[in-house]
This record gives sequence, structure tokens and C-alpha cells, in this order.
Amino acid sequence: MDEKRYFHAIQLLNDKCKGCMHCVRICPTEALRIRDGIVHMDEARCVDCGKCISVCPFDAIIPTSDSLNQINRYEYKVAIVSASYAGQFTEDIDYSTTIKALYYIGFDMVIEESMASEVMTRIKQHYITTNKEVRPILSSNCPAVIRLIQVRFPSLLPNIFHIEAPMSVLSMYYRDKICIEKGINPDQIGIFLIVPCISQVTAVHQPEGAYKRIQEGAIAIRDVYTAVRDKLPYIKSLDIPVTTHERGLTRALSGHEADEVGNQQIRTLAVSGIDNVIEILQKVENHILDQYDYIVLRSCTNGCVGGVLNVENPFIARSRIHVLIRDAKDEDHELDSCFSCYLDGTFDVLPLEPRSIMELDKDIKQAILKMKKLQEIMAQLPLIDCGACGSPNCRALAEDIVQGRASIDNCVILLKKNIDKNEE
Amino acid sequence: MAEYWNIVESIQARHDSFLQEKPEPEMSISYEVGHKDFINSGKASSEIKLMLKRLGVNPEILRRVAIASYEAEINITAHSLGGKIICNIYLNCVHIVFNDSGPGIKSIEKALEPGWSTADDLVREMGFGAGLGLPNIKKNSDVMHIDSEEGKNTLLEIIIFFD
Repeated sequence: MDEKRYFHAIQLLNDKCKGCMHCVRICPTEALRIRDGIVHMDEARCVDCGKCISVCPFDAIIPTSDSLNQINRYEYKVAIVSASYAGQFTEDIDYSTTIKALYYIGFDMVIEESMASEVMTRIKQHYITTNKEVRPILSSNCPAVIRLIQVRFPSLLPNIFHIEAPMSVLSMYYRDKICIEKGINPDQIGIFLIVPCISQVTAVHQPEGAYKRIQEGAIAIRDVYTAVRDKLPYIKSLDIPVTTHERGLTRALSGHEADEVGNQQIRTLAVSGIDNVIEILQKVENHILDQYDYIVLRSCTNGCVGGVLNVENPFIARSRIHVLIRDAKDEDHELDSCFSCYLDGTFDVLPLEPRSIMELDKDIKQAILKMKKLQEIMAQLPLIDCGACGSPNCRALAEDIVQGRASIDNCVILLKKNIDKNEE
Repeated sequence: MAEYWNIVESIQARHDSFLQEKPEPEMSISYEVGHKDFINSGKASSEIKLMLKRLGVNPEILRRVAIASYEAEINITAHSLGGKIICNIYLNCVHIVFNDSGPGIKSIEKALEPGWSTADDLVREMGFGAGLGLPNIKKNSDVMHIDSEEGKNTLLEIIIFFD
């Protein structure tokens, strides 16, 4: 239907795919099908949540991200590291050592996502109190959630917090700062995000609502981990002065952000895990959660620590980050000027466009005909959702048939019934 | 008063021709709603919303249909002995009929006042009964018609145009 090409940080390896149904069944937007024995993706439907990657038993669906070598194309290399990075290393390694490690692998400057937490909280509180006519306001930090809303809940697009995510705010702020203070040409500054999930990779390469690309690339946390893991004792001894910002690591964990933004005037709700997010968005669409001012939605369980590009189990990572936050010292932040940039509109994003996959046809007359046909087909299908046809369930097969993407012969159960009938 | 009509002014002409032509719906779906069945209440309006979404109905219209039908469905659950919802889909509008088996509305005028409610304790405990149901339905529909009398059934119908 839609001619637009969508970037996805997912690669399907045909030679490894056995045509099993694990990924097809788990996909929350029904973007995957098995056809001719291998998996196919509908690019318009995929929201880069990464669930298919974690369930594939044959490693036939793999995440993609920029390689570390990419940074060498730039004179001045900047890493902006996601808060969930802090949860990946065992507790015998100081957090400051893991930040040093980023300098060790070639970055000239390391910025932590956590540095923006405080100012982002202030920005959010201001946005929520000044946009009273929209309720609830939905967080925008998780790119998979943004795409899920575009695809399945387009009526909620105006509810999204229309301000750049913290790592983008930091990118914009520091690119200007480096340019002015170090006299480096903006084109020669390479800003790379160190990210926990594929939706962040996609967001860097095909940002939604942004005026232009803000970063040069997105590198997987696990690639950085692999590059430094063995050398950490050595890195620890290096004399690289680093300051760390543990207090703001809250961004990596679902729940914390809602607690920080919430106060007596702002009622918040925190939701993580894409199935929970879908359930909540349905309720928001029915206007039964209008009493909430702000809802934080994260596609991965426990928040960003659950992303597929992490190394550590999300519960263990959460526990470690929790300790870092608990023991954090008060910090000074130089980012106060970001608040006035926000007031000036520097971080505004364009209204987000729907990517509607829900309508059966652009023309309502055709859509009604298709809906009727869909119901007729449903009446024939066994409704056991076995998946042997390659579609996630009987309803999806009926839809595929209506849209000319499958035939009723794909149904193995019906086929067998017909064979049995002929034999009688 | 046993009958109440609210027709958005700009819609009057369209509504008159709709009543005159009495077109056959393109599709018609019905749902049962159980007495005090708060567990399942809201499912019918969710399905109606999903159906219209699939037909490509504009999100703003969808929002109005979702609110009006959800409130009306909750009303059947909370205030009646159970009932039936019939959703008729036309090319340019949706006509939804909510018909319950009683006990009827004593005063439709009062029921339309924001904040006025006859909800019992159970209903209020469930977080409903704020007295905003009918006013919300009225606000979000192009045509609203109520026919009710104490001791009898209540018929509520709404029409929302797609363009």
C-alpha cells in the first residue's frame, strides 16, 4: 500500500531460516510471514521491537548496527552512551572504568545519556503543565513505541511528547559546543550513540519527526562490550580523567522516569514490555486513562536494560544500575542552557505521520467489501491458529487472502479435510 | 418526557435524508452486554472501534465513536438489566443502537445534566458513575436519540458521520 521504504535494523538470513513459526507468532504487529519455507517481513508494519531476534532458535534473524570502525571516518569522535550500558559489567569493574574504556577504543569525548536526565525531567514537567489540553501525554523516548503508535494507534500521535529524546538533545548541544570550543568543522565531528536496542539504531538512520539526521551512527552496546571486556584490568590502570553521572542512570529503567517526572500535580504511569504497552494504548484510545498526565512507555521489559543489543540479563542489569543510582553523589550540570533551548523550540519535532497498516483499503467501499469477504473466509477457517499456513493466526491468513497475499489453500487443516472428504 | 433528540445543527439536512431514505447498512454487527458484567464491558465498543479503524475511518471520528460507544456500553452494564448493541455501518456514517431490558430512565433531562448519577455503590466502587456518561455521548455524536420511560427499556441510538 505505502510506497515509502522503511529502514530496519534487522537482517533476515534466508540460508539459516528453517521456516518455523517462532518469530511470526511473537511479532506484535504481525509483520512476519513464512512464505515458500522462509520468513518475509512487511517493512511498513515492523516497529523494530526486536522480539523476533530473541526468539529465533536458528539465529536467522540478527540485529544490525554500525561497526566500531565507522568512527575512524571522523576527525573528532564522540560517544553518547545509553544509560543501560552501566548495567552490563560485573560489579568488580567500576563504572568509571567502563567509561574510560570508551576513550580507550578511540573516542575523543564520552557523554553519558544520564547527564541529560535532570534537565529532561524539567522539560517534561514544563511541557506537561503547558499542554493541558492533551491527556495523557505519552513518552517519546522509545523509538519502538513511537513506531507502534504510528502503525497501530495513529489516533494517539498528537499525545506524544513532541520533543527530541535525551540522546538527541545531547547530540545537538555538544555538536555546537565542540564546534565552537575546539574549532572543529561540524562535518568532521562524528557523534555515535552506544545503544541497547535495534529501535535506537533505526531511529538514528531514519529518525521520525526530526528535521535531519542528528547522529552519524549507532553502535551496539554488546559490540563495545566485546571490544573492551578482556582489557578492562589494563584500562582501569590508564590515567584518563573521567567524571561520571550515576544519578541520571534512571533512564535505563522503567518506572524511575515516571517517578521523577511525577509530583502532586503530575500523575504518571510507567509501563514496560510491548504487550503491556499495547494493552495500555488500547485503554488510552478508549479514553479511560485520561486521568493520567504522563505515561512512560517502553517496549522492552524493565525498560532499556531489556534491549536485544545488551549483554546482561535485564533484571541483573537493573539491580546493578539501582545500586549505582542509590550511591550516586550530587552532581553539577552544565546543561541548564538546554532548558532555554527547549523554550526556544530548538528541540521541537515535526508532527508525527501515521503509518497506518490497519485499514483494509483506502476507499471505504472497498474496505467494507474486503471486511465482508474477510468474515466469510473466517467462517471457513478452523480458528485454531496453528500457524502452519505461515500467517500468525487464522484471522491474519483471512486478511492475507483478502489482500491477495495468500490463498485459502495455504490452510493445511482445510486441505486435509478436503483430502479426507475425497477419500470417503 | 420519554423521548429526547439532539441533532448537531450542521447535520440536520443529512440526518433528514438519512431518515427518509432509510438505507440498508453495508454491514451490521450485534453484541450482547451483560448486567453488571464489568469484566467484559467495553469489549463491544473496542470491537466497533477496531472495525472502523480497519475500514480506514479518520482517527478523530474514531475517537468520538470510541468515547460515545464506550460510555453507552458502560451505561448498559452499570444501570440496566443487560442489553444488546447493534452497530450499523454505512458508507458515510455509523449508526449504533443500544437497547437494554430496563428499568428505564426516570428523567432523561436530569440524566443529561453533567454530574447527575443514579449509580449504586458497586458501580461507584468500580470507578464509574460520575454522571458524565450521557453528556459525553451527546458531546461526541452528531445525532443522539433516547427513548425511555421508568419501568420500561431504554433505547439509545447515535449517528456519527465520517466526513
